[in-house]
Amino acid sequence: MAIFTDSDRFWNPLLETLPREKLRELQIRKFRRIMKWAHDHSKFHRQLYDKAGVEPGDIKTMEDISRVPKVEKSMMRGIQKKEPYPYGDMLCVPLEEITAFRQTSGTTGQPVYQPDTWQDWEWWAEAWAYILYAQGYRRSDRVFIPFGYNIFVAFWAGHYGAEKLGCEVVPGGVLNTEARILKMQELKATATMATPTYILGMADTARKKLGLDPAKDLNIQRITCAGEPGASIPATKKRMEEAWGARVYDHIGATEIGAWSYECLEQPGGLHVNEGLFLVEIEDVETGEIIEEPNRQGKMVITAFDRIAQPCIRFDSKDIIEWHEQDCACGRTFRMIKGGVVGRADDITKVKGVLLAPTAIEEVVRGLPELGDEYEVVVTKKGDTDDISLKVELQPGAEGLREEVLGKLSDQLRLKTNLRYNISFHAYGSLPRYDVKAKRFKDLRKAH
Amino acid sequence: MADMDLKEISRMIQEIEDAAKGLIDKAQGIQAILRNADRILASAKMLKINVSDLVS
Ligand SMILES: [Zn+2]
Repeated sequence: MAIFTDSDRFWNPLLETLPREKLRELQIRKFRRIMKWAHDHSKFHRQLYDKAGVEPGDIKTMEDISRVPKVEKSMMRGIQKKEPYPYGDMLCVPLEEITAFRQTSGTTGQPVYQPDTWQDWEWWAEAWAYILYAQGYRRSDRVFIPFGYNIFVAFWAGHYGAEKLGCEVVPGGVLNTEARILKMQELKATATMATPTYILGMADTARKKLGLDPAKDLNIQRITCAGEPGASIPATKKRMEEAWGARVYDHIGATEIGAWSYECLEQPGGLHVNEGLFLVEIEDVETGEIIEEPNRQGKMVITAFDRIAQPCIRFDSKDIIEWHEQDCACGRTFRMIKGGVVGRADDITKVKGVLLAPTAIEEVVRGLPELGDEYEVVVTKKGDTDDISLKVELQPGAEGLREEVLGKLSDQLRLKTNLRYNISFHAYGSLPRYDVKAKRFKDLRKAH
Repeated sequence: MADMDLKEISRMIQEIEDAAKGLIDKAQGIQAILRNADRILASAKMLKINVSDLVS
């Protein structure tokens, strides 16, 4: 095994291996600084803090931070499309300093607009450089990004982060899936970034339409996933790694927040929080108490320390996460969250009185080799009882195993989620395929 | 990393920032100077986040 020096292993060993007590002290100092910035430059934040009776100067401990009011996405929607147009009172810099507009995908409602200055953009790339370096990207990599980046931030930031690191970046936007695969092959690209759904979809297209085996015929060694939890779901990660003959790493980011966490080369079953750039607090959903101990789920409240145009301070992300009980063998002192984002607080789904995480269903479906990558879960109400239907596809050639697979699937689902499902089998290729923001879980109870 | 002189590095980063601000002061509105100096300031800020913040 190669021996790494600190500067080989870390993008910034000064921050990534900082002793925890120093990291805490730095975080509190940086929190105070961004809170003061927002207080002094945005009407929205000044009113928020004044109303709550807190001042930046009050912030001396983590407990002080936990008393600072949270910002919800609905509050951001409420102030946008007003002057300074279209961002409204949260904007902390003159409009002419904004150099980039992005917006959220709007999966959970009206999109939120996100302005960034050039410095903010440098910061996005910086956060991504931490991610990619931790995942083994180096200057010798040729990174193919198989997306048109459009108005959404993720792959723009991945592109600029890879460039900052010194990689050669190929934007594979306007091509169709077949042409992207052929371009990756032609250029001997070494790395790629995409949603788990698209990574699996590309492998499928390569095999079925081009007669290529990505694991043998392409040179991809590293894949960074974004946008969905798949790379943190062991069965999905395994499928991707086998299909591509590559290591697959997860990262999590959001338009309103930044790229705040990353899996490292160790693939430790969790993601490091970039605690040099972000403060992650986990809050008990019912009591609001801040959770410090591992293995207890709560919702994430997050602060980006250095984002200035539209600051992200104690943003109530609604993501459900938990601290990992272990330190990582990589040597980073940044804490890890276990298994990525496991759900969302606003759609924590109680089915038949049992909490259901859609990721648990995916883990079971993709753990069965006889099943295809796609599935669909629909929860409806029949009379007074909830009904869950699960649609799956058998792999070509596995049709004769239907009964056997049905038995395994329902047993494992019951074991893992404590629920019974109406399982139906569908022809391979008939369930919807997604490029981004897959919608495989549908809760139709609220519509009735 | 133990023998790195973070205070000295941090002082050098400050010099970059001061020089870029000096350029902006002397630019007399010339965009080619202003906008490029602004980019240097953004890069200097990333150096501050990575190093200077640790010693201040
Ligand atoms: Zn690690």
